[in-house]
Amino acid sequence: MIYSGPRHPPTFVFVTTNTSDAVSLTSATKHFGPVRAVDGLTLTIPRGQTVALLGPNGAGKSTTIAMLLGLLPPDSGHAALFGLEPEQAVRQGMVGAMPQEGGLIPRVTVRELLTFVAGTYSAPLPLDQVLTLARIEDLRDRRVDRLSGGQAQRVRFAMAVCGDPDLIVLDEPTAALDVAARREFWESMRGLASRGKTILFSTHYLDEADEHTDRVIVLGHGRVIADGTSAEIKQATALTTVSVTAEGECSWLATLPGVRHMEVKGTRVHLRSGDSDATVMALARAGAVRDLEVVPADLEDAFVALTTDAAPATDKESV
Amino acid sequence: MLGYVRLELIRTMRDGGYVIFGIVMPVVMYLLFTNLGLAPGDRHDAAIYTMVSMAAYGALGSAFNNGTGIAEDRAAGWLRQLRLTPLAPAQVVAGKVLIGAVSVVPSIAAVLLSGVLVNHVTLAPQQWLAIVALLWAGTVPFSLLGLGNGYRLSGQTAAMANLATMLTLSIVGGLWVPVQNFPSWLKVIAEWTPSNNYAGLSWRIAFGDPPTIHQIVLLLGWMLVFAVYAVYGYRRAGRRA
Ligand SMILES: Nc1ncnc2c1ncn2[C@@H]1O[C@H](COP(=O)(O)OP(=O)(O)O)[C@@H](O)[C@H]1O
Ligand SMILES: [Mg+2]
Repeated sequence: MIYSGPRHPPTFVFVTTNTSDAVSLTSATKHFGPVRAVDGLTLTIPRGQTVALLGPNGAGKSTTIAMLLGLLPPDSGHAALFGLEPEQAVRQGMVGAMPQEGGLIPRVTVRELLTFVAGTYSAPLPLDQVLTLARIEDLRDRRVDRLSGGQAQRVRFAMAVCGDPDLIVLDEPTAALDVAARREFWESMRGLASRGKTILFSTHYLDEADEHTDRVIVLGHGRVIADGTSAEIKQATALTTVSVTAEGECSWLATLPGVRHMEVKGTRVHLRSGDSDATVMALARAGAVRDLEVVPADLEDAFVALTTDAAPATDKESV
Repeated sequence: MLGYVRLELIRTMRDGGYVIFGIVMPVVMYLLFTNLGLAPGDRHDAAIYTMVSMAAYGALGSAFNNGTGIAEDRAAGWLRQLRLTPLAPAQVVAGKVLIGAVSVVPSIAAVLLSGVLVNHVTLAPQQWLAIVALLWAGTVPFSLLGLGNGYRLSGQTAAMANLATMLTLSIVGGLWVPVQNFPSWLKVIAEWTPSNNYAGLSWRIAFGDPPTIHQIVLLLGWMLVFAVYAVYGYRRAGRRA
């Protein structure tokens, strides 16, 4: 499941679109002047998955989303939703989206706004259900321009889901929400995922990618750095730390299965392992299990490890 | 698309700028001017002449206000949000033009009604019909100019540009002070403005004359220029959005 994206996009691309895939981006590239915001990105999301697009600011998340929604034409490569051109899929009401910012207009109430957006879709959700889903029942008759940041964010979310689309794309949906509001937001999302929707959201909050998804795609400098379940990503990148107390000559511990790196602090030995089960078993067989401690990596470690070694993408680099 | 038109009309009616510049000010100015006797001719003629001027002025205000709305919508990310709904881009543009056409109606109606009710203006039914139709249809060039500014410029700049254009066209076009009172050099300029020829169609009808070829050709010419400008602005905005 894990792979590193190609550094240079292939010169020839055979585009295949599978209608069972909700999202398919093939070797998509987008430049802004000298900045290569998205760099030969290929990704496929089957129907029904909840996927996090994880990456630090400037990784290319918003640009990727804009291309797959048909808002921004790729310089090269191709985007498809449900096997259709993005614009077509949007026209057919298969897509609902919440851009990173904006989309709220002054002088209308929440109800007026959502009634309009829902009305552009052929089979929208009933308004009451949308209000409940987004937890904005009490904001129904409030003017959209008089909402707090968190309330506005929920109304923007409601606009993305009110048409009952098959694919929901959310760009940093929980940015600027406090912890409690974020928890409520993810409860709404779980409701959607359980209805079989395909959900793609971007985030730089690691715990969100960890807890709420089937799959995490890590972006860095416009490329896919890793793609898998959050557990797979942790395992492949950050290493589990196995610590024991050992005395005397202990360099042999570095040769145990799974061990990639050893650090000795006094009598304490810290083994960084890619396969902690195998390492612990070997320690047990050698009778070296004393004060055993196993600390799994968190996604934060994985994220830092994944995104710090990639060089920034500029045109100069590739010449 | 009708849902879009309905939503945008709700927003327009709640827009203080629209209500003030498009409806209240023209009516107030109309009643003020007719009672100060600034227009030529006798009292009844003045009431008719100024009624057309102020209806035209109000319609201009509404038409340009609609264009300003586009710039605000873009700044608010609303145009992008619309592109993410099943509405086609052509439906959005057509909807906006329709909204402009509907939003000038209250401006025209308010001034004409004050003419009838307050200043007791009397005209033949076919005159009323022609004046309403020409005042309404004649807003198209100004709507296009306003939309062009709205697409091309950013929020605050577009609002300023549209307000300045609207006031300049109103004043130089002789909607506030009749052209007859202008110095001769300004009179020459006035006769080439779209606003003077727009109101001119209805002035002539109100006093029993048919519109002149000069007026019609000039207004159509300006409409063509502003249509090109609006399309240019729209293309530019599309590239940036
Ligand atoms: N409209 C734009 N003009 C110029 N540069 C841009 C534009 N949009 C994005 N970029 C640049 O492209 C890179 C990726 O940006 P973005 O896709 O917004 O990243 P993310 O959403 O992951 O923070 C950044 O270096 C950003 O500065
Ligand atoms: Mg972003």
